[in-house]
Amino acid sequence: MNFVIGKGKHCIANQLQGAAPMKSRIDQFMSNPREEAEASLMAKGLSVPAELARTNRKILVVSQEAGFSDSVLTYALNLAERLGYDLVAVNVGPGGNGQDWLGAPYRKLRQARFRLQARWAVRRARQRLAAKGLRFEHQVRFGTLGSVIEELNRAQKRIEFVLNASTASEAEMLGGVTLPVFTIKAIQGERIMAQQEARNWKLVGRTVGWGLATAALYAAFFVDSGAVMKYFTRGGLYAALPIATVFVFSYIHGTFAHLVWEVLGIRAPQQTVQPRPTAAERPARRQRPRPRLRLNV
Amino acid sequence: MHEAAASSVQFIDLNLTNIAFMFIVGFIGGLVSGFIGSGGAFVLTPGMMSLGVPAAVAVASNMCHKFPKALVGAIKRYKYGQVDIKLGLVMAASAGVGVQVGIKIQEWILKTWGQAGSNLYVSLSFVAVLVIVGGYVFYDAYSISKKGGNEEATGLAQRLQKINLPPMITFKTANIRISLWFTLPIGFATGMLAATIAVGGFIGVPGMIYVLGASSLVSSATELVIAFVMGFAGTIKWAMNGMVDIRLTLIILAGSLLGVQLGAIGTTYVKDYMIKIVMGTIMIIVAVSRGLAVPRYLTDLGLLSAGPTTLNILDKASFIFMCLALAIGAVIILGAMWRAKAAEAKQAATVATAEETYGRV
Repeated sequence: MNFVIGKGKHCIANQLQGAAPMKSRIDQFMSNPREEAEASLMAKGLSVPAELARTNRKILVVSQEAGFSDSVLTYALNLAERLGYDLVAVNVGPGGNGQDWLGAPYRKLRQARFRLQARWAVRRARQRLAAKGLRFEHQVRFGTLGSVIEELNRAQKRIEFVLNASTASEAEMLGGVTLPVFTIKAIQGERIMAQQEARNWKLVGRTVGWGLATAALYAAFFVDSGAVMKYFTRGGLYAALPIATVFVFSYIHGTFAHLVWEVLGIRAPQQTVQPRPTAAERPARRQRPRPRLRLNV
Repeated sequence: MHEAAASSVQFIDLNLTNIAFMFIVGFIGGLVSGFIGSGGAFVLTPGMMSLGVPAAVAVASNMCHKFPKALVGAIKRYKYGQVDIKLGLVMAASAGVGVQVGIKIQEWILKTWGQAGSNLYVSLSFVAVLVIVGGYVFYDAYSISKKGGNEEATGLAQRLQKINLPPMITFKTANIRISLWFTLPIGFATGMLAATIAVGGFIGVPGMIYVLGASSLVSSATELVIAFVMGFAGTIKWAMNGMVDIRLTLIILAGSLLGVQLGAIGTTYVKDYMIKIVMGTIMIIVAVSRGLAVPRYLTDLGLLSAGPTTLNILDKASFIFMCLALAIGAVIILGAMWRAKAAEAKQAATVATAEETYGRV
């Protein structure tokens, strides 16, 4: 039997049924094509060909950062689920054509870091996709966005359209891209997973810094506690010494203690923190991470 | 004169055991006071004295660690919107008067009945106040938890708030409007108790809850402001006499600043009545501990005859109960936090599953 893969499964189903009524063309947009094709084949007692199962339609999601923001990912996920498409996510890192030999080691280092970060960031997305039973492929490429998309378009069959999650100008995308591109602008200030990871490291760094400051302060006091005690217990105006000291300690060690619990993830949950009375009068802030779409053809 | 006072005091040598003891007790004390507004001092002062620190130095060093700890805790809980600074300052001002009166009473008793009489007075006031107030707090917390965990202002507080006796004061965070004349006695009693048993919060917090009608969350947070003001004033007095052993203070502070922040975070995880449960439990156990110390003072006064072995055992038991009070308080707090955290994680997982199924809300 001869399957026409390029025009979608309905061609297959219709060939099997003989006719192509209008209703099935409408259904084409309304239902999951692969499942239906498989179901109709199964109904006729035929086995699903491996070829059909392998090459589903795809959505390509591209980002120039080492990660995808949560809303972009959620949007792509829901879209892929609704349409029954596969998802191909690609992080496009800063490129290099190999000509620039002087900067090559540094570039390689940066690219290795980018690759690592991107893979780290996509871990959670993988879990979510696996839970939905969607097929997912993740790649890390280097170069300009346009060239990478075209490259992928040639290599991967049946990419239907591109979701652009990067902040790059669209002019760059236009260069030679023959696919429809939708640009998703995540709401401002939304956390990108990879960056959040990086931020935690920053927190650890700050904690270590304040910890060292605290340790230094304690060392300074206990290295010669005899001399310290001599002046601190003189009484009278010398009373200012211990009092000033505990203020300094409570600031530095207090900040360190605060950071220790932050790093350990023990912090007040937002919803249980009582708003201040003045804050209650303000209208409630709403968070609606709704990506905005723009068609770029 | 000050130098003479200081040179006559023997400061102890530090070893690893001492340091570890003070650090750990500092941490647990900090945890409890971050949660219920006060605590730690009742173990630290006798604890330090059992390590050989003179009584005055123990009290002074403890007080010097108390106010920065209270400051850090108060700032943290202010960020959570729990501190009523105005209420705290009004209470602290009247508590200052209470402290002076309390000291005068102490001095009069010391002069009339001597050291043993003074100790007996302290222990008896401990037992009386803690059993009555602590018992009521615990009973209240128990009945709230039975009813489903929602706090309400007591009938007494509601009636007092209706009495329009100028000057009336509005406390915004506590969300109460009440006459100054009902606020002052609570502060005064807090100060008097602080001067007598060194833990004013055991009357201040229940006073704010049951008499003024503030929530236990706001009351315990506001107590930290009172503790800061009173601790600061007390420290100035002690430091002027050169009694503060800064080494002890700093070691305790190392633990307690960690603890007080954890305790403050803990209040955001649990229901309001948990504060009452912790406070009631600690107060009752401390009352038992002080009750065990009464026979010694009665013997000293010649009102009771008990052998030295019995008295020694009672002393040890008294101290162990004191530590137990703090430890049990800490265990309840950490347990409550743990459960709340686990529930939160479970809920987050449910939301995540819902998002997987229905898309992001």
